[in-house]
Amino acid sequence: MTESTKNLKRSSAEREGTQDSKRVKTNGDGVAKMDEKPNPYLAHYDEGFKSPLDDMERHKTTALQASKAEDSDNNPWTGRPHSQQYFKILKTRRDLPVHKQRQEFLDMYHSSQILVFVGETGSGKTTQIPQYVLYDELPHLTGKLIACTQPRRVAAMSVAQRVADELDVNLGEEVGYSIRFENKTGPKTLLKYMTDGQLLREAMHDHDMSRYGCIILDEAHERTLATDILMALLKQIAERRKDLKIIVMSATLDAQKFQTYFFNAPLLAVPGRTHPVEIFYTPEPERDYVEAAVRTVLQIHASEPEGDILLFLTGEEEIEDACRRISLEVDDMIRESDAGPMSVYPLYGTLPPHQQQRIFDKAPEPFRKGGRPGRKCIVATNIAETSLTIDGIVYVVDPGFSKQKIYNPRTRVESLLVSPISKASAQQRAGRAGRTRPGKCFRLYTEAAFKKELIEQTYPEILRSNLANTVLELKKLGVEDLVHFDLMDPPAPETMMRALEELNYLACLDDDGELTTLGSLASEFPLDPALAVMLISSPEFYCSNEILSITSLLSVPQIWVRPNNARKRADEMKQQFAHPDGDHLTLLNAYHAYKGVEQAGEDVKKWCHEHFLSYRHLSSADNVRAQLKRIMETHDIQLISTPFQNKEYYVNIRRALLAGFFMQVAMRESSGSKVYKTVKDDQLVMIHPGTAVTSPYDWVVYNEFVLTTKQYVRTVTNIRPEWLLEIAPNYYDIDTFEKGEIKNALIRISEKVRRRQAMKGGR
Amino acid sequence: MSTASQQRRRPPPTCKPPKTKPPEANKREEEEEEVEDYMTMTFPDDPSQLTSLAAGGSGSIKETSLQRRQRLRREAEARSRPKSKAELAAEADARREAALSRSLFAAHPKSKGLAMMAKMGFKEGGALGKQQQQQQQQGLSSSPGQQPGGRGDDGAGSDGDAVEKGFGAGTGREEGSGGAGAAGGGGPRIEPIRLEIKDGREGIGLESERKRKIREAAEAAGERAKRAKEDEAGYRERMRREREEARLERQFVAAQRVAERMAGEREDAEVGEGNGGAAVSRPLKAISVVWRGLVRAREEAERDRRMRYDLEQGLARLPTYEDAEEDEDDRKALGKANTAYVTAEDLDEEDTELDEFNALPVDERLLKVVEYLRREYHYCFWCKFAYSDEQMEGCPGLTEEDHD
Repeated sequence: MTESTKNLKRSSAEREGTQDSKRVKTNGDGVAKMDEKPNPYLAHYDEGFKSPLDDMERHKTTALQASKAEDSDNNPWTGRPHSQQYFKILKTRRDLPVHKQRQEFLDMYHSSQILVFVGETGSGKTTQIPQYVLYDELPHLTGKLIACTQPRRVAAMSVAQRVADELDVNLGEEVGYSIRFENKTGPKTLLKYMTDGQLLREAMHDHDMSRYGCIILDEAHERTLATDILMALLKQIAERRKDLKIIVMSATLDAQKFQTYFFNAPLLAVPGRTHPVEIFYTPEPERDYVEAAVRTVLQIHASEPEGDILLFLTGEEEIEDACRRISLEVDDMIRESDAGPMSVYPLYGTLPPHQQQRIFDKAPEPFRKGGRPGRKCIVATNIAETSLTIDGIVYVVDPGFSKQKIYNPRTRVESLLVSPISKASAQQRAGRAGRTRPGKCFRLYTEAAFKKELIEQTYPEILRSNLANTVLELKKLGVEDLVHFDLMDPPAPETMMRALEELNYLACLDDDGELTTLGSLASEFPLDPALAVMLISSPEFYCSNEILSITSLLSVPQIWVRPNNARKRADEMKQQFAHPDGDHLTLLNAYHAYKGVEQAGEDVKKWCHEHFLSYRHLSSADNVRAQLKRIMETHDIQLISTPFQNKEYYVNIRRALLAGFFMQVAMRESSGSKVYKTVKDDQLVMIHPGTAVTSPYDWVVYNEFVLTTKQYVRTVTNIRPEWLLEIAPNYYDIDTFEKGEIKNALIRISEKVRRRQAMKGGR
Repeated sequence: MSTASQQRRRPPPTCKPPKTKPPEANKREEEEEEVEDYMTMTFPDDPSQLTSLAAGGSGSIKETSLQRRQRLRREAEARSRPKSKAELAAEADARREAALSRSLFAAHPKSKGLAMMAKMGFKEGGALGKQQQQQQQQGLSSSPGQQPGGRGDDGAGSDGDAVEKGFGAGTGREEGSGGAGAAGGGGPRIEPIRLEIKDGREGIGLESERKRKIREAAEAAGERAKRAKEDEAGYRERMRREREEARLERQFVAAQRVAERMAGEREDAEVGEGNGGAAVSRPLKAISVVWRGLVRAREEAERDRRMRYDLEQGLARLPTYEDAEEDEDDRKALGKANTAYVTAEDLDEEDTELDEFNALPVDERLLKVVEYLRREYHYCFWCKFAYSDEQMEGCPGLTEEDHD
């Protein structure tokens, strides 16, 4: 089958002789074949000559034409007959709110280069608009793809799958997706869903984004770092490439800002399917919002009519805790007061996908016919705020908090902190209650607090992030003047200064702010600059294989599993892999053990489960490793290892860590103390209790600085201070240090080193 | 301290390695040094400062053996004493706050990052982004007409034509709209976002609510403290005044009673025994204002008492309720036949005259009653005697003082 279609493609390409022989579809004219004896294998192709796409002219199509094309028996894109499933889906697609405005959309699309599209969640914009564009751009004629960006990897994957189903094509062929470390597109791809970060990476090698005829920025209201950068870039590119169409899609109604930013682009708004939501506030501020949330859920269950509940909390631990408490209390209610059954589901990012799927299960049936209704209660982080649509939710409980990434250049701490949400967020949460019928939203704060204490809009990510990576990317993207780069919300100047400084210390930028060879190479890796530099310089330390593994392990979520009911056993298991010199080496041990088991052909999943390791994250680390290895090979970075028997094996790895992370070093305050002081920023930190390091060392390198109620450094490895002076002499230039214990310590060490060298020289 | 440390840091001019010097000279010099030190010496209590000197200096520091011992002991103590968790947390917080409140431009003025930004045209105190450039340009070219033009497109935003025009209008126009967009976002950002750390699970608004309560309590306490600050004399004065007022009030009521009694006596004398027993209802306004208040208060108290009594009698309705179904007999049987009390008919009316009178200070009111008594009845409240004629011979005067 594949063979025959391939041949066909080639022949049709020859016949058409068009400029885009690579991307020719089977919709070419079949006139030549008409006289021939019908070939049963080519039946689908013969009918394809009536392809409705032939009558359509690019950028002049109508909704009617497109509908006709969609209604035809054969798939206009593949030439294959449409499946039954296709028509079933097509019917539901036509019911989406966005469908009514297809012609209006096309008219605007034709008349303007940039378009702002507003549609609330559930309007169908993410799946439909790219298809409308597809039927208008006709990319098989121009060879210019359509890209649709998503802020999240999962969304890119799942939406691509959905759209492939809707178009009745195989995922990875006409419709594909591209996310970091995974590319599922092919030469036939016309429509590509991708993460916004991925498009940015592509732009580094294609400054004009010349592969694309239309770029759709979806979920722009989320204002991710990459989306903000893309908007600024596209604004520039739009002037250079008048043929490039840009659609900015947002789910909230603050579209005015997007319009003015994009040269007063026209706006198209599609109403979502929403019902009124009644909002309740508490009369008094709450002492304990988790407690109050649990209480509210139980009250709803006891006294409100049928309908599912959505409760917003901040993190995994809190959610699991709340789920447990709600389940226990509901059991009591069932026993004591004949309440209906309730199933409680947690939902957070690190939850395994099959458990995430459970939130779509139906609410339980009442215990007996006519009994009190059953319902489900979903306890979720803010991923349920915009990105996920769960039908049947009627009650929303909103304590008003979420975990938000925050970065402050003054202490260089990038952390997830529980913070009050914005008014816009609160509105979004309330809106979740009105998806199926009129709902209720219970806000666990007073109306006065809502008005006075919540900010209007959530700060865009660019204001809350370390920009080292972004600055490197921008440099690679050819942006010279970073200071006047036209961002929608420019970050604080100090953040920029810190980023430039860090890149300079990493030798990615020279003193004039120009990209160095190392910087250019580092930007090829989809990694933070520190990790990339560490990886690139690892061959100098004879351990690039090991550093590659460690880098991959640091790029995935924690591989250690520590379930609440088996914490002790999990810790014991982790101890098996523990390396006395640090957590990086412990990670490496676990990875080596994992690979060993895999090579021995044992059941890896079972082994992981027994050893309290996350199979999912280990295998994705393995995948990341393969991707990075490929990049290293294309750039001729050697993969070498110190022989394991060599006593320098681990020393080399520890030294190599410093090549990238010399700016993340802490010194113990005094012997016997557990408190460390970060170098240069002079912050007091403790080593995170999850560490494998048992004996305290005087100097450690750390992977991250976490701020909870205490300040912690996580994933630490013991180092020797002499290495700092040797490996990063620029950063450890003693004259640049402020007076203090660290400066004194460094002076002592440098003198010791000098003396030792003098002794050696004297001998 | 400063002189001492300067002295320490400055190497003694004649100080040379001891080997090259005769021991006596060295000794003498040390003695000199000692003497000098003794005069100006202060004992620094911050050991870290000493250590930093010890490590940072070039070994030229003079430190007596005793000082040294003391210092080492103090350092060892500081090291060996583990800090409490609270102390550590407080210290970490303080460090963080210190770092957070200090601008990086101030902390690292020689930063290479800053130099790079300066090269791109950044000025300290400014913000990033395009609008800054635009402002600068506008400042230079001073063309205020451009920005309104850029903004004018807002209204026509949905019109395709207007947008096309926007594209074609060149850079000046586009910058105008870019500036407008940024202005809508609340101005350019100069400082990084504050880091707020939340501990515990307190709900939104609790913190500010608590602060509000603390502030209110503090204000109330301040008020009380202010009052307590009044000096003793003030206190005595106030007490005296209060007591005086209470006494006058009592006298005022007593004078009113006299007035009522005398009015009653006169009436009785006039009417004779004619229609004695029945309670008479007459409008309150007919009574002189000086003692009307007394009657009114009594009538009100009486009415309230009656009403309460009637309610307590178990009739679940107000005594004034007229039941249409009750006939004369019923009413008689229920004991409602003759309403036993008569209220002044204008009791419920507002009495501005009385209100005005009551608003007067108590001594004035008293004076008015006394005057009234003298005028109407030739009675002196202070002599407690009714004179026979207007001259009131023998009464010393109008006021209480006159009767002393």
